[in-house]
Amino acid sequence: MSSLLIAGHEFRSRLFTGTGKYASANAMMDSITASESELVTLSLRRMDLKHQTDNILQPLQKKGMKLLPNTSGARTAKEAIFAAELAREALETNWVKLEIHPDPRYLMPDGMETLLAAEALIKKGFVVMPYVHADPVLCKRLEEIGCQCVMPLGSPIGSNMGLASRPFLEIIIEQSRVPVIVDAGIGAPSDAALAMEIGADAVLVNTAMAVANQPSKMANAFRLAVEAGRMAYESGLGERRIQAQATSPLTDFIGALS
Amino acid sequence: MKIMLNDAPYEFAGETLEDLIIELDKSQQGIAIALNQQVVPRSLWCSTGLDEQSLVFIFESIAGG
Repeated sequence: MSSLLIAGHEFRSRLFTGTGKYASANAMMDSITASESELVTLSLRRMDLKHQTDNILQPLQKKGMKLLPNTSGARTAKEAIFAAELAREALETNWVKLEIHPDPRYLMPDGMETLLAAEALIKKGFVVMPYVHADPVLCKRLEEIGCQCVMPLGSPIGSNMGLASRPFLEIIIEQSRVPVIVDAGIGAPSDAALAMEIGADAVLVNTAMAVANQPSKMANAFRLAVEAGRMAYESGLGERRIQAQATSPLTDFIGALS
Repeated sequence: MKIMLNDAPYEFAGETLEDLIIELDKSQQGIAIALNQQVVPRSLWCSTGLDEQSLVFIFESIAGG
């Protein structure tokens, strides 16, 4: 399986993972280990001054994971830029997963604010990875202003509905000159495999692993699915057709009986 | 002095942002500070003084997707 290059950083694994929704830090680490993922997303929030929070950062850093802070919670470009600057200080990285969703019910990314924020953040030296609708025009615009990849959604965050946006993902993949990472909605390993088979460069999975009865087993299943899907893509999948085409040669030996 | 810390009044005995973090007994890893709506780089925490008008927000990294 070929490796993936984003902003000069090489990834051997094409499975990116989120750190949210796990029952414990240990369950999260076991799952990430089983997934063989090399990049994890993190969030930022106002510090809880009364309680000590579970330190998940140390084990992730110790493992050498590439950390990708997100701007989750930002409703506008201005808030997202502020969140990205905070994240750069907190995690000492100029990489940011830019996500702006003004509506908490469906968590739909705001494309216009995302484009504005991406432009400003790129000027400030960030490696911007924007989470967006599977909108081929927007993805092209984001590429043109200097985003290092695009992260179109398969379906709403945490919905486990798979690649509801498939036809548009295929257009994005066909047009894109930067890596396409399918994010959000990937509910089963088969969704991840399909994303890879249609030519996505990577997938980002969180909920489906974190809420499984056995997260690390599910993480392993996702690892296998991503590898299988990528290998199938690299091998060249056969064309779909309506008519049958014989796999065995159609000889006339049966006819010889009459 | 009384500062505003994460939207609540806070009585602070020290002088700088670094003093504040030490006083709060929080890990310096994975956190970021904004003073009066501006992000303060880590390297400036020790030289950034606070006063009665200071609006401080401390953020921490947590799990997320």
